[in-house]
Amino acid sequence: MTDRIPVPDNGHPDFPRISSGNPDVDKILNGGFPANSINIIMGQPGTGKTIFVQQMVFENAREDNPVLYLTTLSEPIAKVIKYLQRFNFYDEDKLGTAVTYQDIGPELAEHGIGVLKDLLKEAIQTLGPKMIVIDSFKALHDVSTSIAEMRRAIYEISGILAAYETTVFLVGEYTEEQSRIQPEFAVADGIVQFFRQEKSNRDERFMRVLKLRGSRYSEGVHGFRIHETGLQVFPRLVTPEIPVRYKIITERVATGVEGFDSLLGGGLWRGSTTLLAGPTGAGKTTIGAQFAIEGLRLGEPSLYINFQENPTQLARMFGSYGVDLVEAKSRGLHALYESPVELQIDSVVSRIFRMLNEHNLRRVVIDSLGDLSVAAGDPQRLHDYMYSLTQHFVIHRTTCIITAESTASDYGSSTGILGMFSYMSDNVVRLEVNITDRLTRTICVTKCRGTAHDLGVHTLELGAQGAKIL
Amino acid sequence: MALLQRKAVMTELEANLIFVVERDKHVRELLQVFLDTPQNTLQFFDDGEMALEQVWARRPKLVILEILVPKLDGLGLCRRIKLSPALSDTPVLVLSVLNAHDRAKLAGADAFMLKPLDRHRLGGVVERLLRPPPTSAGPAQEVHP
Repeated sequence: MTDRIPVPDNGHPDFPRISSGNPDVDKILNGGFPANSINIIMGQPGTGKTIFVQQMVFENAREDNPVLYLTTLSEPIAKVIKYLQRFNFYDEDKLGTAVTYQDIGPELAEHGIGVLKDLLKEAIQTLGPKMIVIDSFKALHDVSTSIAEMRRAIYEISGILAAYETTVFLVGEYTEEQSRIQPEFAVADGIVQFFRQEKSNRDERFMRVLKLRGSRYSEGVHGFRIHETGLQVFPRLVTPEIPVRYKIITERVATGVEGFDSLLGGGLWRGSTTLLAGPTGAGKTTIGAQFAIEGLRLGEPSLYINFQENPTQLARMFGSYGVDLVEAKSRGLHALYESPVELQIDSVVSRIFRMLNEHNLRRVVIDSLGDLSVAAGDPQRLHDYMYSLTQHFVIHRTTCIITAESTASDYGSSTGILGMFSYMSDNVVRLEVNITDRLTRTICVTKCRGTAHDLGVHTLELGAQGAKIL
Repeated sequence: MALLQRKAVMTELEANLIFVVERDKHVRELLQVFLDTPQNTLQFFDDGEMALEQVWARRPKLVILEILVPKLDGLGLCRRIKLSPALSDTPVLVLSVLNAHDRAKLAGADAFMLKPLDRHRLGGVVERLLRPPPTSAGPAQEVHP
């Protein structure tokens, strides 16, 4: 959260808020948009801004809290409503009563931008709207004959809207460059940007708060998806505020892998993060699954999340260790699968964080870091997410194992994802596959913070009962 | 147009003469939209000093004022009205961008409203302030010689 003003504004009676209609966006906005503010919702076509605004409109509209939605010279009302009906938040009963759509395109085309102020005054007098949306506001530039006229009009419009008790949303297909020069941005109290980014063969959607006058907000880029319920937003995970006083954890956590705990000096520290690195077939997934199953045995809520094995394959793998995943879920073992093709790091991290709080998870296995890295695209983004997540694990005293694909050459680099994540891990365990006359596997603890750990290279055996260290 | 015609036949004493001490043109416009009815006549002033002079001269039925006005600020104007035995019964509504409810009360204001304007709240407060007090012997302008 950015400390824009040194007062706790959230919930303060002098800073009433308007809900965005989306709890996650409200969190990003520190409670919602400040009431009676003028906000710009900007983004290129297809970024989700109109759906966001429509959801907000229907969530807030009541007969005693009417909303006026003015369409200008972009989409006709019929088209807006036609597509709106596909969403769950759409409520036909509110149309014409709590939500009034008005197409002012013809008046603007005939009389120019100067007519907008009169139209607004008339609407204020007849409807008394508590929320006003003008979509598209950017299109008003097209009916203005000069920059000076546009500036005058914006001064008049913003003046009348600021004097009246209403919260205003000006929607427009502005580019970032335009946001720096168009006069409406100077009068805006809040600016929220929607945009898309190409990720290999698909696009990801993001939103970002650029300005929220007089209020704190969560900075940075927040991923979202468009869903039939509206926008599914994944607020960017930020590092937790560490309590001033905290107790050093002295509790050890059993890994569930025979012989492993003794290599670690008695198990993993509660709340620690362990990087389990090795090539394909080295036993990473098996060790991770056993760690989660040990949590089930000890009654510790656990999460096993992976991006390769689909639900059937997961059920088979856990079944081979005598664990029925459906039954195990009722006892606190959650096994999740996310397709690596559709993987969006914001959604995964948001989901883990949500489950962490909802289920009070004591153990988490993330299989694997490589899939998250591909989803993140940007190594710095992955680093920031993983750092924040591991810090939350510390606060929650949740012990985490993260697997990573590696080859021998990865260990020499401090800039690759393995090197980067090794620094933020409490423990690093290296697995190897050796092929001579037969395949053998080895395990070696290369880092174990705060522990005089075993330094040897040991044979790791994978059998029907899982992994064990000889 | 019809409104103007009706007003033309209504004398200032018959109408509710409302003084508005406010410099913001947009607030003035909205007050005009919300309060300009056949029963009300609005008179706008840019500063407190001029408004006070006219309060003495024309005895409005209500004074709506912003605190942030030049020469004599809104709270000063309110105090001057309320400290004068001849004017003290004139209702004063402080309508300000400043969250100064307590200071307005201390200055003797009858009501305080924080901007921005809400038509219904404003209408309710103005109606209440224009209503003659139950113990009043007659219209306000006759009570204060």
